[in-house]
Amino acid sequence: MSVELTNYVTLSAVMFFIGVAGVIVRRNPLIVLMAIELMFNAANLALVAFSRAWVNNAGHIFVFLVVTVAAAEAAIGLAIVVAVFRRAKNVDLDEVAGMHG
Amino acid sequence: MIPFYVLAVLLIASAVFTVTQKSPVYSVVGLLANFLVLAALYFTLNAEFLGIIQIVVYSGAILMLFVFVIALLSSGIGPFAEGPNRMPRVAIPAIVTTAIAFGFLAFGISHVPLGVPVPHATTIGPVGNANVFGSVGDFGVALFTVQLLPFEVTAFILMVAVIGVVLLAGDAAPQRTHGSHPKSRLKSADREPIVKAGR
Amino acid sequence: MNALLLACWLLPLAGAIVIWAFGPQLRRGAGPLGSAVVFASLACAGSLFSQASNETGVGETLVTWIPGYTFGLRLDALSLLWTLIITGVGGLIHVYSIGYMWSDRAFARFFAYLNFFVFSMLTLVLSDNVVGLLVGWGLVGLASYFLIGFWFYKPTAVAAARKAFVINVVGDIGIMFAIFALFASTGSIAYADIFAKAGTLPVGVLIAVCLGLFVGAAAKSAQVPLHTWLPDAMEGPTPVSALIHAATMVTAGVYLIARFAPLYNLSPTAQSIVAIVGGITMLTGAVLGIAQWDIKRILAYSTMSQIGYMIMGVGVGAYQAGVLHFFTHAFFKAQLFLGAGIIIHALNDEQDVRKMGGLYRRMPFAFWAMLLGTLAIIGFPFFSGSYSKDAVIYGTLERGHGILYVAGILTAGITAFYMFRMIFVVFFGPERDDVPDVALAIPEAAHVAHAEDHDAAHAPEWLMRLPVAILMVPTVAAGWLSIGGNTSPWYRYFGTLFGTSENVNAPPLPIPELASQFIVYAVVTVGVVIAYLRYGTPAALRGSVERLRAEALAMPVALERAFWFDDAIAFAIVRPAQALGAFIGRVLDPHVIDAAVRDIAWLAGALGLVARALQNGLVRTYAFTIAIGAACFIAYFAFVGIAGR
Repeated sequence: MSVELTNYVTLSAVMFFIGVAGVIVRRNPLIVLMAIELMFNAANLALVAFSRAWVNNAGHIFVFLVVTVAAAEAAIGLAIVVAVFRRAKNVDLDEVAGMHG
Repeated sequence: MIPFYVLAVLLIASAVFTVTQKSPVYSVVGLLANFLVLAALYFTLNAEFLGIIQIVVYSGAILMLFVFVIALLSSGIGPFAEGPNRMPRVAIPAIVTTAIAFGFLAFGISHVPLGVPVPHATTIGPVGNANVFGSVGDFGVALFTVQLLPFEVTAFILMVAVIGVVLLAGDAAPQRTHGSHPKSRLKSADREPIVKAGR
Repeated sequence: MNALLLACWLLPLAGAIVIWAFGPQLRRGAGPLGSAVVFASLACAGSLFSQASNETGVGETLVTWIPGYTFGLRLDALSLLWTLIITGVGGLIHVYSIGYMWSDRAFARFFAYLNFFVFSMLTLVLSDNVVGLLVGWGLVGLASYFLIGFWFYKPTAVAAARKAFVINVVGDIGIMFAIFALFASTGSIAYADIFAKAGTLPVGVLIAVCLGLFVGAAAKSAQVPLHTWLPDAMEGPTPVSALIHAATMVTAGVYLIARFAPLYNLSPTAQSIVAIVGGITMLTGAVLGIAQWDIKRILAYSTMSQIGYMIMGVGVGAYQAGVLHFFTHAFFKAQLFLGAGIIIHALNDEQDVRKMGGLYRRMPFAFWAMLLGTLAIIGFPFFSGSYSKDAVIYGTLERGHGILYVAGILTAGITAFYMFRMIFVVFFGPERDDVPDVALAIPEAAHVAHAEDHDAAHAPEWLMRLPVAILMVPTVAAGWLSIGGNTSPWYRYFGTLFGTSENVNAPPLPIPELASQFIVYAVVTVGVVIAYLRYGTPAALRGSVERLRAEALAMPVALERAFWFDDAIAFAIVRPAQALGAFIGRVLDPHVIDAAVRDIAWLAGALGLVARALQNGLVRTYAFTIAIGAACFIAYFAFVGIAGR
């Protein structure tokens, strides 16, 4: 039984849904951000695996782009956390519900 | 083959560890492990440059950012205060939903011809050669010729992110700045008693 | 030359705008200013006389609407005549109004309206196309509405204004459909193009157009059965009655039919309908004139009757005669109204003839003015009315309408009767202004306080007398223009403008024109004599209070209710419309339309409540929602996407 593309994609999916569950369940915004990083990386893994399978480095370039976006996202997300923390004095997502209808 | 399964198990374990920890610091440690395992997987997939990037940028930069923020928020007010959980019963439905979604995805994966064998790094050629797939040279040539536009776009995204961060977190405490806009401050000071008198 | 035409048209508008805008500053100056612009307009029109009265007239294109369709002005013989009357008689009535309205608080507003009316009327007659005509037609209706309701604190005046406006809109719709039909069949709105293609129109279209135009003419010119607004319109100030509801606006229907002579000439059927309606109106107005007690209503019904003559004249194709009657009528009817205005003004707005009497001694000037006007209107020999009325009456015989001829003569006799009835009752016998109302059988409701806005100031008397004195000249002499039949200045003035009617079937005339005139004179004399015997003998004058009381109590219901025209309209149109309105207001609107709106609003609210529950502000909820959506997408692609391969 050799390692096939299916294995990589499945591994990627598992990791992605762990991230999804983390985003929904956790209330600490920092951990939510980390779960989002997990989802990014799951996608990256799939891209790299496809890239390798078909020997095409466009996937690598895309991963590069995703890493950049992830970095920007993390920076902005953490800035928002800091800003909210200054105002609300806590880091609970359930307390930041000012946009309710 | 064996390395893949070892790495896969480690990857999933570290991911689960990350999202289940109570303290964010432990989560960061789990995430670090996850990133390192991922970097190792990249190496097995001939993506040596991306593996390096994974270690340097993610583990080195982004995770450090998390650590700094944790340190910043924890200072002075003790451990993170959590209020009442307003979605107490969401855990089970969320996990069920994600499981179902994963089931659909797995069903889909199993029905498309993805049975392409993915060979190991050594089967392609000597690492480091510009003509070899996944090497730094190969990646660099593609980045600065065919894929120049995405490269420039990344630069732009980073610039926007820097500006946004400065805007969001840089001067978010106006009550501690003095004398920048005396007139507007005076107006708001005048306005407040009127509002209170109206109550 | 075109500058003069433009000035003639726009000066009254400028006057109206200036007076309207600066009324409080102008105060009494509004009167002289308003009069001056109308006289200036008259001067402009007069200076164009020689150019305008030739074959084609003076024209100017104002605006190109769509390429090929232009709005413009055209001053030809017909519109020149109307322009001169509107500005000439109108100017005199402006001067008169300075005196009449002197003590009214809304002095300036009155002159702004009057000037606006003159502008509207000039728009109507000067337009060189049917659309401009309709615009002027609507604007004069609007001006009439303003002026009838000028004393808007009187509920009766407001009701009368509304009634006039609504009935006139009926006429506007008739003209509008005629214009649609004309445009659809000739592809043009200009008179010149329409008349050039008149011969090619199918008979049905021709009749439809002529009748549509006549609906408009009937509404504006108070023809049966659309006449009921005219007596009520006497609620307006007396100068308004003189200018709009006697001299100019109500004769617009005559202008319309004379203007469209090339179409009517081609349609004998439409001509006959017009003539018959005119004849019926003529007789109805005269009969109802007998039964009136309000001096202005007597004159209003006589106006209606005389317009019936004009419409009958132009209807049978005797255009010169009908237009001549308009011409003379403008003078003597203005004269009569202005004379009546002097009386009403002197008696503190008393209009009931039963309360007058013996005014010959108190107001000799008014008496002579009214007497001259009366002699003119009844067609006394050598007065203006006799020429025009005889021409119309004989014109019906010339064109083979024997019944209308007899009706015309009969109406002349009735006219003589009720006009002299008015003269005897108003000017002779004892003064009755101290006699209590009950003794004269005057219902209490007849008195409406008019004098609320009056202060003690009175204008110099000559302001009201001068225009009347000037009008005496044409009242007597205007008809002399037509002496000499077809070679007279009057007939030569129009030349071939009206073309010839195909309705001239030239039967051998049973009597020559001179004999016909003597028949008319005889009948008129009979009318005058009956009036004298009934109201003018010394015995009748001595017992006038009892006589008038008895007459008022014995008035036939048919005459009192004015032949039930108002009741018929109320029964056939107003009540069904009110019932429909009540149904819509009480059932359809609250239970269907409002209910639908309410239910939609409720639905939106309910949906909002549902949607609001989703928007709870918790980030994790949103994330969960997105996850469910993503799961659905994955499911779609996992099943449908793969199955489709």
